[in-house]
Amino acid sequence: MINRTNFLASLLFLAIFTMISCEKDDPIIPNEEEVITTLIYTLTPENGGDPVVMSFIDLDGDGGDAPTITAQPLASNTTYNGVLELLNEQETPAESITEEISEEANDHQFFFDTDVEGLTVTYSDEDSDGNPLGLATKLTTSSVQSGSLTITLRHEADKSASGVKDGEIANAGGETDIEVTFDVEIN
Amino acid sequence: MLKLTKLIISILFLLMSKLAFAQDCSLTIRGQVTDKETHEILEFVNVYIVESGKGATTDEHGNYVINEVCPGDYHLRFSHIGCETKEQFISVNVSTEFNMEMEHAASLLEGITVIGKQSETSTQNTQILREDKISDQLDQNISNILESISGVQTIKNGNGISKPVVQGLYGNRLTILNNGIAQSGQQWGNDHSPEIDAMVANRISVVKGASALEFPGSNLGGLVLVEPSKIENEPHLHGSTSLAYNTNGRGASLNVQLHKATDLIKWKINGSLKKSGDQNTPDYFLNNTGKEEGDFAVQLEKNFGEKWFTDLYFSTFNTSLGVLRGSHIGNLTDLEAAFTSDVPFFTEETFSYAIDAPKQVVNHHLLKLHSKYFLTDEHWLDFTFSGQFNNRKEFDVRRSGRSSIPSLSLQQFTYFIQGKYNAEWKNDWYFKTGVQVNFIDNTNNPETGIIPLIPDYFSTESGVYSILTKHHKSSVFEFGVRYEYISQDVPTITQTIPREIIRYENGFHNIATSLGWAMDLSKDYNLSANVGYATRNPAVNELYSGGLHQGISGIEEGDPSLDAEKSLKSTLTFKGNKHGRFGFETHFYAQRIQDYIYLTPTQETRLTIRGAFPVFNYAQTNAIIAGFDLSGQYNFLTNFYGRLTYSYIKGSDTEKQQPLVFIPSNVLKANVNFQSNKQFLIFKNALENIQLNLGSKYVFKQVNYVLEQDFVAPPDGYFLLNLEGSAEMKIGNLNWRFFVNMSNLLDVSYRDYLNRQRYFADDIGRNITIGIRTKF
Repeated sequence: MINRTNFLASLLFLAIFTMISCEKDDPIIPNEEEVITTLIYTLTPENGGDPVVMSFIDLDGDGGDAPTITAQPLASNTTYNGVLELLNEQETPAESITEEISEEANDHQFFFDTDVEGLTVTYSDEDSDGNPLGLATKLTTSSVQSGSLTITLRHEADKSASGVKDGEIANAGGETDIEVTFDVEIN
Repeated sequence: MLKLTKLIISILFLLMSKLAFAQDCSLTIRGQVTDKETHEILEFVNVYIVESGKGATTDEHGNYVINEVCPGDYHLRFSHIGCETKEQFISVNVSTEFNMEMEHAASLLEGITVIGKQSETSTQNTQILREDKISDQLDQNISNILESISGVQTIKNGNGISKPVVQGLYGNRLTILNNGIAQSGQQWGNDHSPEIDAMVANRISVVKGASALEFPGSNLGGLVLVEPSKIENEPHLHGSTSLAYNTNGRGASLNVQLHKATDLIKWKINGSLKKSGDQNTPDYFLNNTGKEEGDFAVQLEKNFGEKWFTDLYFSTFNTSLGVLRGSHIGNLTDLEAAFTSDVPFFTEETFSYAIDAPKQVVNHHLLKLHSKYFLTDEHWLDFTFSGQFNNRKEFDVRRSGRSSIPSLSLQQFTYFIQGKYNAEWKNDWYFKTGVQVNFIDNTNNPETGIIPLIPDYFSTESGVYSILTKHHKSSVFEFGVRYEYISQDVPTITQTIPREIIRYENGFHNIATSLGWAMDLSKDYNLSANVGYATRNPAVNELYSGGLHQGISGIEEGDPSLDAEKSLKSTLTFKGNKHGRFGFETHFYAQRIQDYIYLTPTQETRLTIRGAFPVFNYAQTNAIIAGFDLSGQYNFLTNFYGRLTYSYIKGSDTEKQQPLVFIPSNVLKANVNFQSNKQFLIFKNALENIQLNLGSKYVFKQVNYVLEQDFVAPPDGYFLLNLEGSAEMKIGNLNWRFFVNMSNLLDVSYRDYLNRQRYFADDIGRNITIGIRTKF
């Protein structure tokens, strides 16, 4: 008797399970508020003139489609005031990540590496400890040439390590939040 | 607790004393003591009645007789050199015969001892770890404990996070059964430990067979079984408490077990607490490698009459595991910088118990109801229902206080239902058959703010199997088949903008069959062979994962067009045991897997705002994994032996004519073990069963690799020495066990090929664990 009950119970369960397994609900698409989709480096000539813009835009984040990278040419022997802007354009309106970075200035630092001779980038801002941050910079060009400029944002870098205050990335450590490379043309 | 126990015992004695009026104190207790594994008779076993102190020793036929016993309830205590001391409750009204089986704590080779009177019931090679061996390592996780079995290695992410590898198979390809239920969590992740507290197990076994047909999950061969024993028929409250301290990580572990058999129900509870801080290499701390764990299990057994046995099991496993801070990196540039740095980034001078991001917080709960009903002595039905809940949250270092929001948050419910029928037919035919349904509901919590790496899904696996076994003379033949239908319902989120939901519905048929034969060639030698064919459908992560896997610093992409893997595996085992003096086991295996699914780097690197990342794709190839495990033991004296084991494995991609990635290194182990048969009196109490084991292990460098498949070449081979010691003492009514385990005795700096932490840091240095256990 009992074995029959057992058996019937199993059949019942089997039936229930087969029925449950019809369709999984649509997932809720997460709100990717941490993503940085856009970096815009705006360079305004110190002595006036139209600003030069370099931008890196990757709207779908880590995966999917390739990013769009544009860089307008720079003029030789010119000093620019550089301002970095970071956005999450998946949100509408676009959310500024720049604010997040300046709020956590002590934990972040931008680095600017280039193979263009005579091109220098110096920091014009600092965090509360007096260490560089890099949202505001001064970029100076010399002769006519071309090459690349890599902008890196490090999170929890060791700002007291040798050379880091001067913008050398080698000993900085930490984690990379941004690493973008622009083709630079100096006319 | 102790006082309570004493009180209960005293009350029981008071109650019993009324029986003692008109006593006939001329009863006898007699019986035979045999070895549980070999069924050989055991001589010189001390047997005595705990209550009266009256005792006897077994003769050359393993028999003992205790005369002039009064009627009453007693505990019989059996002790024998090299065996776990056993106590058994016995109620004596008339002269009684009571036979006992004892287990050798360190038997002549794990798993080799099943030779003699009765052949093994299965033809598959099985290796076993027993209670003392497990509970002496209460500070370790289950995978690290399993590593002492030859042919079993671990794939790790630091010492705290590890999963077992059996003959090169792990993750989706290796089924782990917790109390008969296939462990269901996020097995696909190489950095996801099995969520099981080893301390609940009285026995952990590894089946290195050709195909495991009785169980859901992968049937490709390997199987890990974690089994609590049945509750002893013991009407008094008994239990044990273990406590251990480990120096590396400054951790403490506590385990408490209690059990009792009442007329109404038999119950057993088991609880563990563990806490440990930053571990260290010989040279520096591994910051943020602490661990916290709290586990609890309840086991209930009830018999309804003579024919119907039911048990209920509930366990909960909860852990928080730190991941080395320096192993969390942003992009490929960071990873390359980490390779060139001797000491990992973020290494600090100070020790800490704090567990910050990156970390894993995992809960796993299991409820199981099992019933067995005997139709007759030869036929029985078996019914199981289980539910599991797995909750995994992984935390990364994130911007703007988001480190407290998990980057991965997966909840998985698994329901399992099974009906089995077993029969013993005439002429030594045995038949087993069963029906199973396993349903998995996997959901990502969108709290992460990250597009999930693996999608939400439903998966239903319905299976039937039958196994036929025939004992004929000294041989066992086994034949089995299994069929499964797996349906997957997977809504995925696109990688491109705008985000859309694409649904996939799949159906797979898995077929498995196996043929086995085992034979006792003589009293001393046994030969067994197995051939198994099985298919494994691609898992959801292999089909549809997509996105950045922070752990491997790469973009992983599934392939929705993957086919099922088709495996053909053969094993051959030859083992012998000559006069209990010399024992050996040789186990050979070869497995051909057609359409082997693996993660391979593509030529593409994908540019993101965080820099360029390599892209890894799930792809298929044809593979052969083959190897052998050799063990040999020589007993120089009855209480002194030496043992040598060697495991060799090679994985080849036969399509590309190159080695497979992440195949374990070859391992050579040698150890000498000494058991003292002397007793040492300390304050009138005898210290006995003293055991010392000196072990050494050489892990060879993995020389079979393709540089392009990994970020860095495999590390050099390494040599480790370890020393273990244990002793027992009975003080009053309590049995005490003291143990010391020293690992990496020489404090060697090394890195292991299958430990992902090797990209960043050395493995852990010397550790000394001291512990004490009391049984009451």
